Amino acid sequence: MRQAAEMKDFRQDLVSLLPKLRRFAMTLTRDVNDADDLLQEVCERAITRSHLWNGEGRLASWVYAMTRNLWVDEIRKRKVRGGGDMTDFFDPAELNVEAAAEKAVYVNQLHRMILSMPEGLASVFLLVNVEGYSYREAAEILAIPIGTVMSRLSTARLRLAAMLSEDAERRA
Amino acid sequence: MQQTKGLALEVRLSAYIDGEIGETEKTELDSLLARDDDARALLERLKAGSAFGNRAFEDFLHDPVPLALVRQIKQGPGITPRFERVATANLPKRSLRIWPRLAAAAVALFFLGGVGGFILGSAGNIVDPAPEAAGRSWIGEVAEYHDIYSRQKKHLVEVPASQAAVIESWLSSSVGVAFRIPDLTRKGLTFEGARLLVADGRPVGQLVYRDRESEIFAICFLKNGDGGKPDRFSETIRGDLSLVSWQRDAASFVVVGPSSDAGLQDLAQTVAAAI
Repeated sequence: MRQAAEMKDFRQDLVSLLPKLRRFAMTLTRDVNDADDLLQEVCERAITRSHLWNGEGRLASWVYAMTRNLWVDEIRKRKVRGGGDMTDFFDPAELNVEAAAEKAVYVNQLHRMILSMPEGLASVFLLVNVEGYSYREAAEILAIPIGTVMSRLSTARLRLAAMLSEDAERRA
Repeated sequence: MQQTKGLALEVRLSAYIDGEIGETEKTELDSLLARDDDARALLERLKAGSAFGNRAFEDFLHDPVPLALVRQIKQGPGITPRFERVATANLPKRSLRIWPRLAAAAVALFFLGGVGGFILGSAGNIVDPAPEAAGRSWIGEVAEYHDIYSRQKKHLVEVPASQAAVIESWLSSSVGVAFRIPDLTRKGLTFEGARLLVADGRPVGQLVYRDRESEIFAICFLKNGDGGKPDRFSETIRGDLSLVSWQRDAASFVVVGPSSDAGLQDLAQTVAAAI
């Protein structure tokens, strides 16, 4: 049985992690409502399974992997509910990115640009470029090969560079 | 280190930026960059994308996290049985779009039930337990005071922190509770001063602190005269405020702060040891 003090620390650490966890969820779902649903679910699961957290390494890595797994499960359920019409989870062509971006009416333009990135790119970029995970760590969290991490990361960087140019042209 | 030979140049340069390639490949790419303008331009585009992405992702952290979720996490086991029940009973089932629904419910309640409805809705899925214990009714009044006084920019306190000795003497005699002003600088809180309040018909001392983000915290205490056993720490949430209360000898204490603060119980324990 986990000690009460440890449990309290775990919950406090989880609260501290929420902004980053929500950001990670956004890169997976690219939809604000889905991200908040996912965030809620992963927090419930993390608390009920906190006894499995060994306290080594980054708590974020453990929770991120859980978040990714839950999202993949959710995608599978949606496929079943939708009669298999949904395309593959990592298929960049899957998304109606404009619709996803439009739902996020309260986020600013930069958020919309990030949310409009093809699936799988933003989460890799976030983990490696923003949060400093190694390729191997990012691959483990996202359950993808390291080669996929590398190719998605370079693609994400070039997409973001293109967005930067578009943004500069719009402002000019 | 990764092997990138044979991969597209943008993939190799991307790994070069991240330092994920071995020394031999790095030397090879250094040489390429020294002689190839296109390779250099590609590297600059990758770097520009990285910098732009960093800024954009940093901005995501400024979004507020759902307050109801913060409360749910904080109100796990170990606070009070009442809260355990409340939290468990309100844990939504998977895939419910709970926050949009709560927001909609809050709006509906506001229009249907006026301010009372709004308060209930805005409290998220936490049932407000404040009306519970008659002996703790003063806490509700403290929360109302805090809600008003914490917004006072020019007149946050009656007596400023510079008159600490006066505050201790004045409030000790007015409230009937001997105390010391806790130094909470290690908790990131700066003492601002004090007020004398009235709650449940009795004088209440209020010590006011401000954190680095200008959030206001307060310690309130009153003499309740029942001389009961030291109470355990009990957390209550009212609106956007969290209140952690306890009893010592013949006095009751409460620490008030934003409900999104994860460390209020720790703070209360520090205060209990120092006041």
